[in-house]
Amino acid sequence: MPREIITIQVGQCGNQIGMEFWKQLCLEHGIGKDGLLEDFATQGGDRKDVFFYQADDQHYIPRALLMDLEPRVINGIQNSEYRNLYNHENIFVSEHGGGAGNNWASGYHQGEQVVDDIMDMVDREADGSDSLEGFVLCHSIAGGTGSGMGSYLLETLNDRYSKKLVQTYSVFPNQMETSDVVVQPYNSLLTLKRLTLNADCVVVLDNTALNRIAVERLHLTTPTFAQTNSLVSTVMSASTTTLRYPGYMNNDLVGLLASLIPTPRCHFLMTGYTPLTVERQVNMIRKTTVLDVMRRLLQTKNIMVSSYARTKEASHAKYISILNIIQGDVDPTQVHESLQRIRERKLVNFIEWGPASIQVALSRKSPYIQTTHRVSGLMLANHTSIRHLFSKCLGQYEKLRKKQAFLDNYRKFPMFADNDLSEFDESREIIESLVDEYKACESPDYIKWGMEEQGEASVAAAIDSKLVV
Amino acid sequence: MDDPKTRDLVKELVLRLVAPVDSPSSVADEVPRAISFAHRLLSSRMAPSLAPDELAIAESIKRHLAASGRSSDALAFADLHTELSARSSGPGAVRNRWALLYLLKSLSDARRRDPLLHSTGTAGLPSLPLDPQPSHQLPPAAKKTLPPSGGVLLVSKDPENIREIALQKYADLVMDETEVSESALVRDILFVCQGINGRYVRFDKASDCYDLPESLKLPRSMRTIVRKLCELGWLFQKVRCYITESMSCFPAEEVGTVGQAFCSALQDELSDYYKLLAVLESHSSNPIPTPGSISGVPGNYLTLRRLAVWLAEPIVKMRLMAVLVDGCRALRGGAMAGAIHGRAQHGDPLVQEFMGRLLRRVCSPLFEMVRSWVLEGELEDTFAEFFIQSQTVKAESLWQEGYQIQSAMLPSFISPSLAQRILRTGKSINFLRVCCEDNGWADAATKAAADVGTTTTRGGIVYGETHALEGLVIEAAKRIDRHLMDVIHRRYRFKDHCLAIKRYLLLGQGDFVQYLMDVVGPELSEPANTISSFQLAGLLETAIRASNSQYDDRDILDRLKVKMMDHGDGDRGWDVFSLEYDARVPLETVFTASVMKKYLKIFNFLWKLKRVEHALIGVWKMMKPNSIISCIFTKEGAAVKTQFVSVLRRCQVLWNEMNHFVTNFQYYIMFEVLEVSWSQFSEEMNAAKDLDDLLAAHEKYLNSIVEKSLLGERSQGLIRILFVLFDLILRLRSHAERWFEHIFELQVRGRSKSRTKMMGAGPWFVGGRKAMVQLAGEFFGRMGEDLDKIAKEYSASLDDFISQLPIQQHVDLKFLLFRLDFTEYYSRLVPSK
Repeated sequence: MPREIITIQVGQCGNQIGMEFWKQLCLEHGIGKDGLLEDFATQGGDRKDVFFYQADDQHYIPRALLMDLEPRVINGIQNSEYRNLYNHENIFVSEHGGGAGNNWASGYHQGEQVVDDIMDMVDREADGSDSLEGFVLCHSIAGGTGSGMGSYLLETLNDRYSKKLVQTYSVFPNQMETSDVVVQPYNSLLTLKRLTLNADCVVVLDNTALNRIAVERLHLTTPTFAQTNSLVSTVMSASTTTLRYPGYMNNDLVGLLASLIPTPRCHFLMTGYTPLTVERQVNMIRKTTVLDVMRRLLQTKNIMVSSYARTKEASHAKYISILNIIQGDVDPTQVHESLQRIRERKLVNFIEWGPASIQVALSRKSPYIQTTHRVSGLMLANHTSIRHLFSKCLGQYEKLRKKQAFLDNYRKFPMFADNDLSEFDESREIIESLVDEYKACESPDYIKWGMEEQGEASVAAAIDSKLVV
Repeated sequence: MDDPKTRDLVKELVLRLVAPVDSPSSVADEVPRAISFAHRLLSSRMAPSLAPDELAIAESIKRHLAASGRSSDALAFADLHTELSARSSGPGAVRNRWALLYLLKSLSDARRRDPLLHSTGTAGLPSLPLDPQPSHQLPPAAKKTLPPSGGVLLVSKDPENIREIALQKYADLVMDETEVSESALVRDILFVCQGINGRYVRFDKASDCYDLPESLKLPRSMRTIVRKLCELGWLFQKVRCYITESMSCFPAEEVGTVGQAFCSALQDELSDYYKLLAVLESHSSNPIPTPGSISGVPGNYLTLRRLAVWLAEPIVKMRLMAVLVDGCRALRGGAMAGAIHGRAQHGDPLVQEFMGRLLRRVCSPLFEMVRSWVLEGELEDTFAEFFIQSQTVKAESLWQEGYQIQSAMLPSFISPSLAQRILRTGKSINFLRVCCEDNGWADAATKAAADVGTTTTRGGIVYGETHALEGLVIEAAKRIDRHLMDVIHRRYRFKDHCLAIKRYLLLGQGDFVQYLMDVVGPELSEPANTISSFQLAGLLETAIRASNSQYDDRDILDRLKVKMMDHGDGDRGWDVFSLEYDARVPLETVFTASVMKKYLKIFNFLWKLKRVEHALIGVWKMMKPNSIISCIFTKEGAAVKTQFVSVLRRCQVLWNEMNHFVTNFQYYIMFEVLEVSWSQFSEEMNAAKDLDDLLAAHEKYLNSIVEKSLLGERSQGLIRILFVLFDLILRLRSHAERWFEHIFELQVRGRSKSRTKMMGAGPWFVGGRKAMVQLAGEFFGRMGEDLDKIAKEYSASLDDFISQLPIQQHVDLKFLLFRLDFTEYYSRLVPSK
């Protein structure tokens, strides 16, 4: 009963970051490119069966499902040196291979068409696990397959595996450069609705911020996708270390996420990682201490989500929760000191409607990977400023929608047939209410939020006086 | 002297000297006496108190001749002397030239001083006196006829000396006053000194001393001196009495080897004393010269005063012995040695030396015990004299209870710390032998002995060389301890077991604990008496196999067992379930029953904490993001929807608060308690030089965990509140299960409107939509009430808990408070109240 986690990678972006993730995992566990354990990987202490299972010939096979509507990326994987790693039954490529044409509706519709095939694969993997903990979905929200088919998958999973966790690693498009995908705002909005309603936890990977970090922190002039993807894989593998190297606490995904997400709706997490290195890059080595790592993690420049907040709004932004996963050679006594310093300097603003604190999980580092830094850290944070990202998405959507641009592409598909654009409106409403809820979290009166319009004094009175400040 | 030639020469010399003076008739019987006397003289090795310097004597003769105006003689002497020296190597040469010169000089001196001899014209040799009888027995008249008496160099007295006659008369007068002669008294005292009643001096039982009868006429001074000397007899008897008493009851336990050694040392001292008495006895046969007749008798006669001088030192010693005998009568073994040592600190070197001698003997059995204990771990102590005592105990308590220091038997010259070290060293050997079945210690001991330089054989150490003893003990202790540590760490993998205990009993192996919780959880909700521990053992195995523990050492896993504590009525499985770690010999010495009890206590606490965490996660899963879709109510149910949203949010906020508490408490336990204590412990573990250190370090580690996790005696108030909080959380969990069951039904119902016909016939589906909304409203109302009740109790208890944290003096809980109130949420609340 290893609390298995099944990874589903959908679309071009999803498969690329998924691929990087598995590469990283194999490295950390000493699993070779063909799935066989390397000779040196004898130190143990790691837990491989959360993400892998062993075939009859001792091959480690990732619990991964690869899906795409066009064959390019998956063919690339199948021709790479990692081709023998995956279970070939777990790879789904649409027969006609035409892709979704960056159209959410197309992806969604095609997903609906092949749902039986896909769900067969999912069911088979789920049946193969003793105590399935949940699913991790890797996708982007801007394209067609990852967003559309991903959305359909989210709904189906939620329906069929409602007791299981569904976590997503969702790549948000780069807002800084003009995208070749003009309908990006539509796709994003429609996917965001599913992420809000059908996912338990969304780790937001903002391409804008990833690019910025690559440029500013890693000094790359034009970061490639491979480079930003390696950032993503670093974050993904780091966020699962406590599951893979068991310790006293945080040994399962639920436990990890539960503390991060006290209010179900606000389940969009930001990440930060330090110190960052990219392959083949000679980086200066700096002294890393727990305090140093924790302090850096709180700096906005290290956070992998862009903040579009204006200064005034930014000062109101609050952390709902923070979990720092510190990896490496750490003396537990340092943790307390670091927390103390951070509190003294008031480096963090927390919500006022309930108790909160920085949680620190210590985790081992893989013994098979040599790193130049003694300590590294990943921050998973639930921060209200993420609402500005959604507002930005909404704004872009509104602009496009006002012009009624590119809607024809969507009307071709059943959901929007007969010019029924209510799905857009409903999605907009949900995202707006999400933004509002995050905003409400910044106020100490969050508990009363949403009740005022009804003017129900009785409800407010019934609320525990202690919780009302 | 055995050379017949020499003997003949001596005989001839005697004959020559004796013959011309007296009538030939008397010569016959005088000659043998004279010869034997001469023999005695020659064999006596008496020597003039002069350095045998040939040149000096020759020079003195020359000077003498020159001074007396015979310078020609002086020159002749010088020539002769040179010639004599020149012939020193030839045959018949005179070897002992110095003696020759000295003899010649003595003769010439004597002649010069004694005109009488000078006139007789004999060959320059003085004649020998023939009557060595004590002069006072001779009639005064006969005295005059006596030839000049004295030895070779004696200056003879004038026989007409009137002063001498007067003195003789005085002596006779004194003799008249006393009934007893002095020599008789001397002889009596010599008897008394051997504890035998004399003719006059007898033991008086009434006054417990030797005394002369009052009736005896004696000058007071003499009486006093006799009494004084008789003390020796009294002391002697005491000492001898003790010795005979001790020796006679030898095999009995009261004496012991130390006592025997003491007796034999005393006996040796006594035999010295006997020798002295024998000499004195022989002296006492010499007559005491009367005043004035001194010149005629040999010097070694005994008077009372002389006896007093002779016996002065023996009295001191005997007194010491008697004191020791008195002091040691009730003591044995180490205590006896200690008592003797206590008196050895004396300023008088004589006493010190004497006591040292005695102690060397007395302590040798003791040191032998120390040696064999420290090097072989053998307790050769048949008479229970050693300061270490053994008890027969089970192997696991050998270390703690097997051997004890008997402080009464600890001699004061062994310091308590040294004694501790001695105890530990032998104990380590025995521990190795009995519990570890290890033989490597013998090498260590041999090496230690070799290093110190003391042989491993008996009698290596003696009293007075405390540093040698200390050296041996320290060296042996060092080696043995190192070896023991080595065995414990390497062979018995102490640290591995500590880690295993930390991982399993202190729940460090998170994934294992999680699975265990998952599989055992449903079972433990049953009443305790219906649970089979056999089944639980199976589940434990399942959890091990499911988690990373499967890669653990089988030896470690085999020691992990399920333990059901005693249960009463109404106890659930949760209350009695625990894990147990079987440390086995020899590690049981560290993980004793009482230690394991503490571990058990910690386990139960941590297990409860985990259970509460588990329950909270369970609640979260019920209301997790994608399960709750609050848009199920349409416009008609707006009020109910608000109600729902409100009650749900209150539930979330309460959950958040509980979760915050539980997680931070766990972080506190992990970082501030377990890990900190562990890192301290492993430091001390590595630094530990011996098993005692290790035990102390472990004890400290365990106690620090107990105290810091509020399980100590003084935290009972806090822990009670904590358990109230835990119970409230568990209550929330059981309520939540019911609530969310209803809510899910509602959701199904809510969704069913958009889908086909409703299926099933739960309570929610009876009646129309309106009824459902109303029912839902009522339900949310009830849920809100329950929730508020829990929330109210919870916050009251939590306030109580937090307010008590800073008051705790004995344990540092500010870390916990710091974590719980990281955002100062609670401290901000307080003033508002």
